[in-house]
Order: sequence, then C-alpha cells, then structure tokens
Amino acid sequence: MGKILGYDNDSLKMPNKIIEMGLLPDTAFRILYQAPFSGPMYVEFGDEKSRIALREEEGNYIIVEELN
Amino acid sequence: MQDSQKKQVLLVGNPNVGKSTVFNALSNKKQKTGNYAGVTVASHSGTYTYRNEEVEIIDLPGSYSIYPSSEDEAIFSKFLIDEQKNYAGVIYILEALSLKRGLLLFQQIQDLGIPMILVVNQIDQAERRGITIDILKFSEALGIKIIQTNAKEQIGIDDLKEAVLHNEFVKTGRISFETPVEHKDFIQKLVSHKGFDNEYKAWMSLSLGTDLGRIESIVGLMEEPDSKSLVPKRLQVQETVRRYQAVDKILADVISKKPQFKELLTEKLDKVLVHKFWGYVVFLMILLVIFQSVFFLAEYPMNWIDTFFSWLAAFTSEHLPEGPVNSLISNGIVPGIGGIVVFAPQIGILLYFLYLLEDSGYMARVVFLMDRLLRPFGLNGKSIVPLVSGTACAIPAVISTRNIENLKERLLTILVTPFMTCSARLPVYSIIIGLIISDGSFLGIRYKALVLMGMYLLGFLVALFSAAALKRFIKNKGKTYLVMDLPTYKKPLFLYDLKMVLGKVWEFITGAGKIIFIVSIIIWFLSYFGPKQHPDQFVATNVELDHSYLAKMGKGIEPVIAPLGYDWKMGVGILTSFVAREVFVGTMSTLYSLEDDAPEVKVIDKMRRDVKPDGEKVFSFATGVSVLLFYAFAMQCVSTLAVVYRETKSWKWTGLQVAMMTGLAYFVSMIAYQILK
Repeated sequence: MGKILGYDNDSLKMPNKIIEMGLLPDTAFRILYQAPFSGPMYVEFGDEKSRIALREEEGNYIIVEELN
Repeated sequence: MQDSQKKQVLLVGNPNVGKSTVFNALSNKKQKTGNYAGVTVASHSGTYTYRNEEVEIIDLPGSYSIYPSSEDEAIFSKFLIDEQKNYAGVIYILEALSLKRGLLLFQQIQDLGIPMILVVNQIDQAERRGITIDILKFSEALGIKIIQTNAKEQIGIDDLKEAVLHNEFVKTGRISFETPVEHKDFIQKLVSHKGFDNEYKAWMSLSLGTDLGRIESIVGLMEEPDSKSLVPKRLQVQETVRRYQAVDKILADVISKKPQFKELLTEKLDKVLVHKFWGYVVFLMILLVIFQSVFFLAEYPMNWIDTFFSWLAAFTSEHLPEGPVNSLISNGIVPGIGGIVVFAPQIGILLYFLYLLEDSGYMARVVFLMDRLLRPFGLNGKSIVPLVSGTACAIPAVISTRNIENLKERLLTILVTPFMTCSARLPVYSIIIGLIISDGSFLGIRYKALVLMGMYLLGFLVALFSAAALKRFIKNKGKTYLVMDLPTYKKPLFLYDLKMVLGKVWEFITGAGKIIFIVSIIIWFLSYFGPKQHPDQFVATNVELDHSYLAKMGKGIEPVIAPLGYDWKMGVGILTSFVAREVFVGTMSTLYSLEDDAPEVKVIDKMRRDVKPDGEKVFSFATGVSVLLFYAFAMQCVSTLAVVYRETKSWKWTGLQVAMMTGLAYFVSMIAYQILK
C-alpha cells in the first residue's frame, strides 16, 4: 500500500496520461504485479479500484509514501 | 438537401465505457465492440430513424481528456471542436463503475459550451458491486438530465432516442473550471481581445498550445511575460488536477457504497493471467488452441464446401450448352469462387476467437505481459494488438495502431504488421502445404499443421526482427511510455460476436468473390484466345492453353521468376496476387481447370500431377518452399498499401515497405529454391 504525494519537479516530461487516468495526489494505491525483467507494473488505485499498467519509468515521476 | 436535414449526434466518452455498444443498440449497423481501450480507433457513423426523424450518430474514438496524447484521441478532439456547427449535440457516456475518470472529459466539453445529453451506462454492474448512485442528486450537481442505460440489454435506448428527438441536449451556462488566480488577468484580457466566448475557451487554446503563435503576437497583453508558467503542458496538468478535486467533491455526495468491495473475478483471474510465468504459459496455450481449432475444426466444413463446388462445376459443365460460356463458368468462375469460399470456415474461427479475446478484457493483459519483451525491438506493448489481429487482416490491424502514443513505435508497428500471417495467405499456404508436405504426424500433430504453425511463427519473427532493423532508421519524436487501463473481465458476447463474424466472413467472400470473378474472366479470355495459327485468322479461339495469349504473357515474365523455381502459370498467379493474395488460389483453380476437361477432379490433384517440360514436378518441394516464403514476405495487398499510406501520410514509408517486403521475398525465395532444388 502507498499513497501518492505529488509528482517529480520535472513534470514537463511526465506523460499527462498518468494524471488523466486518475493517479492524483492523495490517492491510495497498491502494486499488485509486475511483469518479468522489470516490465510494467500492475497498479490498483483510488476508491473506484481502478487498475492500470505503467512502466517503472513512468512510476519514477510519481512521488509516493508507504502506508501500512 | 436530405443530408443536411439529418440530425447529427456524436457519441463521446472514455475508452471502453460501452460507446460502441450504445452505437450498435441505437443504429442498425454492426460495429466491433471490445473490452480494450481503443477498439474504435476511427470514427464510424450509422443512422437510425425514430418517429420519422432520421438521426446520424457518429461514434468517436474514446479519450480521457480534450488534450490528445495519441492519434485516435487527436481525431476525437479535432472532430469535437471543428465540427461544432454541424452536429446537434453530444451524447456523453459515463460508465457507472468509473464515474470519476469520465467526469473529467465531461466537464471539459461542458465548459466549451457544447450541448450534451448524459448517459450513465452499466448501472447494473455498479449495483452488483454494492455501489448506489443517487441519480437525482448527480443530475442536479451537473446541471444536466441523466439517462440510465444498459446498452447490452437494450435497456434505456428508447429513452435516449426520445431525448434526442426532443433535442434535450443541455448547454449549461456554468463553467466548472475556475481559472487559476495567477493566470486570471491574462485570460480575461485574452477573452476580451480575442473574442473568446468564455474564459475556459481562452484557457484551452493556451493549453492546447495551438494558438501560441497568436499569443506571442499579442504579447503586449502580458504585463510580465511569464512564459514559463504558460507552458501548455503545465496548464494541462494544472487543469486536470483541479478538475479532479472538484469531481471528488461532487461524487462524495452522490455515491454511496458498501465498504471493501472486491472485484473477485478479476482478482482471481489476474493471479494467473498476469503471472510472471503462468501468464505466458496461458497466452501460448490460448494461441495453440486457436490454431488447433483453425486447422482441425475447420476441416469438416471445408471438405463439404470443396465437394459442393466440385459437384457444381461438374453440374454446370454437363448442363450448360457446350461452348465458350460453358467453359468460362464451369472451368473459370465456379472453381475460382470455390477456391475462396472454402477458406471461410478457417477465417471465421480465427476471427471469432480474436473477438472473444477482445471482449473479455484479456487483450489489455497481453499488452501488459508483452510490453517488456517487445521493447528491445523498438515496439510498444500495445503493438501486440495489431500484430495479433494482423493474423486476421492487416487493414484493421494497421488502423488499430492509432492508440500507440509514440510516433516511432506506431510507425514501426505499421511497417511490420503486414508480415503477420493474414487470412488471405491461409488459402495459399494450405494449398502449397497440401502439395509438398506428407501426411505423417509427429507426437499426434500432423506435419501439415506443424508447417502451417511454423509459417505463422515465421511471420511473427520476421515482423520482430525487421522492426529491430528498421528502428535505427526512424527518428524518435517524443517519449515512449505505457499508461494503460486494465479493464475488469467481462463475459464475452458469444452470440453477438458470432453475428459479427458471420458478417465479416460474408464481406470477405463477396469482396474476394468480386475480384476473383473479374480476374477469372480476364484469365479465361486471355487463355481462350491466342495468336493466330492460320494466316486468315484474326485471332485463334479455343486454343490449347500453351498457345494462348496468357501463356505468352506468362512466359514473358518467366526469366524473372525462373530463379525462384516458378513456371509461367505460377508467374500469372503471383501477378494476379498483387491485387490480393487469395486471388492466387482463384487463378490457379482457373488455370488448372482450363487445362483438361475433367472438372470433377479436384484442382489440387491436377496441380500435383503437373510437370514442367523437362519432366520435373511443377510443385516440387523446392518450389513449394519458395512459394511459401515468397507469400510470407512479399507485400502483395493493394488495400493494405492504401491504408498504410493513409495512416503514415508518407509515400516514402509506404514505398519503403513495398521495397523491403518484396525485395526480401524475392531474395529469400531464390536462395531457398537454389539450395533445395
């Protein structure tokens, strides 16, 4: 479990789709799976339990904190 | 005039919310639906008539925002904004399970002052999960009437038609997006100087970045030209975050749900289907099941069809009056058409499986699994969808690349997708494999099926490696990324998909039938007439095939194709294949039916017996392999080329594709023949 705090300063390089899909500050999420060889992550997030696939590179734009 | 009286209505919403299902429920036209974001990558239109009013509905590609990040979203935005004068309003579709995501785009469109009807689809799904939506409150909060539908069951569709009839499209004056304080002054100046209807329109033209040129020309408006804060991308991010905050507030009042609901089916299935190891095993198993069915299940109907056409050819030959027309019909047209119809079962089975996979939500998992593996080849996980659907036909596959955001990855996918073994190659492969591979089996799988599977694998590998080779020559514009919705699994629409498949197969038969009909007639004419044999003749009629104009032409190209091991008849077959690959079979059927007058003998047996003048078999193992390789690699489909040109808007890439594929085909086939002969 984790929570999104914000985005990396360099948000100009970050694909807008991340935000458009609803990965917003204060959203809780869980990484459920990851494809082999550091492939995409399978993330479940938000109240609507949306599921999304994103690569590690995209994940790196998002600043998160761990929740327990 | 009649066209302008038609009321035009747009269907808009996020990807995968059921737009195409609503479209199909409204109109009589059938359109492919799926459970994968990006099934509608081109805009489609259909019509219906309700109480004497004719309505044209346009199904636009789904989008998450007015700001496009891929080609299909760009089509959507452009249409929505540019065509405002022409359409009566927008039917906006929200999926009850993801209201939040859907309201982002809804409010953007609302703020643009575009009249809308709001539809909430699949409420039953939400209820089943213990989520209750207070529709009255929701409607009040948004200032718009809400129609509830369950499009799959046709529920609510009449309400929707009624609303369209009475023009219940609402244009709320309010604007839900408040211009951020730091830009307020500038935006207000922009509104008054540039004549925007409202602040949001001015804001959007800044955020889209399209009007920057104009903005710079009025830079005097800015007291302190703070260009850094006016970067379009920053504005978009700011807008999205703010809108979501507002949407959260609305939804908090509207939705109530039992805590801790779990998507049990999706959770359970994904434990296996996206598993690091089992996920790939299952994917391979699914592919194997599909191919097994394509070859073994289809065999029975194929035999019936084959027998029927042989009988029909014999019947027409016997009962029509003797003469040229008899020979044209029973030797040319009937076997030509039969040669194609016989592959309808295989194509149908393949398509049916692909449709079921798309419906179920599995394709998004395949993208997830394949992304990492495809990246070294310069492709994106999303490329797997065009590659897999390319096994049916490259045309829709090339169009479906539109939801790949990165232009380089999209171009690469377009260039290599035609290497995938499409259904038009299947007839050619089947007939050649039938001729050169023996009947034995290995571990219970027959050699013929193994070779055919090998051809599919070959197509896939060549697609991958040519992508890896081509990626050096394409400049990368923009970043590559994968941010993709993973939908919940849904039960596929078995019956509905079956209807779709039958429609598609019928299209294939009639489409190919028409071409083959024409080609057969031309070939027959060229083979019926020949250069004059007596001085007093103008042309010779009813000549031996070897003395016909056709043979003359075929023999003319023989020097080019001889290194590949082909005789003139195959040369004619390959030439006609450049219209469409499957025509090869029709041409061969016609040619071999012409040779002797025993229509009841199957064409394949005649081909097997045929020998070259030197006594060597025409379809020897070496020639067969050479033909297989030629058809695997050569770009022989005019329709695909037209679509590739349309999608790339570049003669350079289209030309390169033809040269690369056909050159490779010639080269590889020649080497194979020279080694094996």
